[in-house]
Amino acid sequence: MSWNRPLIIGLIVLLLALGWLRTNSADTEQVRRSQLMMGTIVEIVASGKSSGQLEAAIDDAFAEMARLDRVLSRYHQDSDITRLSQSDKGGRVAPETAEVIAIGLDVAERSHGAFDLTLGRLKVLWNFDDENPVVPEQAAIARAMAGTGPRAVELDGLNLIKRSPQLMVDLAGVAKGYIVDRAIGVLKKHAITDAAVNAGGDMYLLGQHPEHPWRIGIQHPRQQGGILATVQVRDRAVVTSGDYERFFEQDGQRYHHIFDPQTGLPARGCQSATVITDSVALGDALATAIFVLGPQKGLELLADYPGAEGLIVAADGSLHPSPGWDAYQDTP
Amino acid sequence: MKTPWQIMTKGDWLIVLMLLGIALVGIAWLAVAPTGTRVIVTSGGETCFVADLDRPTSIDLDGPLGKTHLVIDEQGAYVTGSPCPRKICIAMGPAKRAGDLLACVPNRIMVRIEGPAGEDAPYDLLSR
Repeated sequence: MSWNRPLIIGLIVLLLALGWLRTNSADTEQVRRSQLMMGTIVEIVASGKSSGQLEAAIDDAFAEMARLDRVLSRYHQDSDITRLSQSDKGGRVAPETAEVIAIGLDVAERSHGAFDLTLGRLKVLWNFDDENPVVPEQAAIARAMAGTGPRAVELDGLNLIKRSPQLMVDLAGVAKGYIVDRAIGVLKKHAITDAAVNAGGDMYLLGQHPEHPWRIGIQHPRQQGGILATVQVRDRAVVTSGDYERFFEQDGQRYHHIFDPQTGLPARGCQSATVITDSVALGDALATAIFVLGPQKGLELLADYPGAEGLIVAADGSLHPSPGWDAYQDTP
Repeated sequence: MKTPWQIMTKGDWLIVLMLLGIALVGIAWLAVAPTGTRVIVTSGGETCFVADLDRPTSIDLDGPLGKTHLVIDEQGAYVTGSPCPRKICIAMGPAKRAGDLLACVPNRIMVRIEGPAGEDAPYDLLSR
């Protein structure tokens, strides 16, 4: 028997074993689940060593999201928001509601009213949920806008004070993001380190994808299925506001659901605004405010938030990235 | 003195070649293995339809508002008819890569593409 035979055969067996390990890439499990809630698709993807642990964490995250949706949505009859809208002077709210309102009021103040939590009546008037929405009459818009604005409500601890009895608070521009942030908090409590929570395109990316940093495609605002850019992120929120998801056309004009609080009409400065920041709630409010402000003022607002970056598509289709955007961009 | 390669017997070479052949066949099998990309549909949270993405078909899916019509063909899986008021599900266009989602929220229908994503996928999630 030749002395080298075991050596050669051993080396080949080692090679095969390495190949097997490579193709079965470690023992990382990935669980992906989705549900319809908050008027959109909510998807949670999580990776880790134990599928049981991942399943339990995702169950708890979805349960927390459903609980918060019942508190914060104007579509639930027993929510804080419905109760506030029905009251003349406001009232006491849940700590979570107060937290969302505080975030919204801060962005409202710093954006000089471009983000507005008090447009509930205007949104009801435009009724984008209807089968055949139409542009309301100017007088009706003026009535819906009466008494709105950043100073129309005041938060004192857990008490919200309404300045006008008919005012309807609407947290749609920030609550969904807040709920995603809370879901991420639940996953972290379960010691999940790599996950994504995506609510209709507003998302937080925790850690990384099992094989690489999270790669997020940004929807092209005028090409169905087209990608405007791809970014790579870790422990960041990515939020996009655009005029292409909910809109109708009348007399050749596009009317979408992001309103300019100055006019009560759809904002005209942008096609889309994408923000990368450290919380989805903030990103949600900022993306809306930037969309309303337009590229120049939008970038000025973004500069007020350290660590926040953005990519704005102006109404003419031109691209306006913030100074630090390139650090995230993967492909042009 | 002979090197190890010089003192290998014909039997040694036969074993080496056999093992290399097995390794090559295994690698080739992994490369051409079917992707198994599937379309999973849920209605009200319950799975109600499963199909291969590469097998053209169409189906009416029952929801609380009525029937949502789903088509699967070379473009992917997409909704062509829906009883919902805004028809956003139709406007969403086709879902075709693993991880893509479609939904008719009012009719509680959700369509999910499942399968290996692949390293060449341009992104993991879509912000819109």
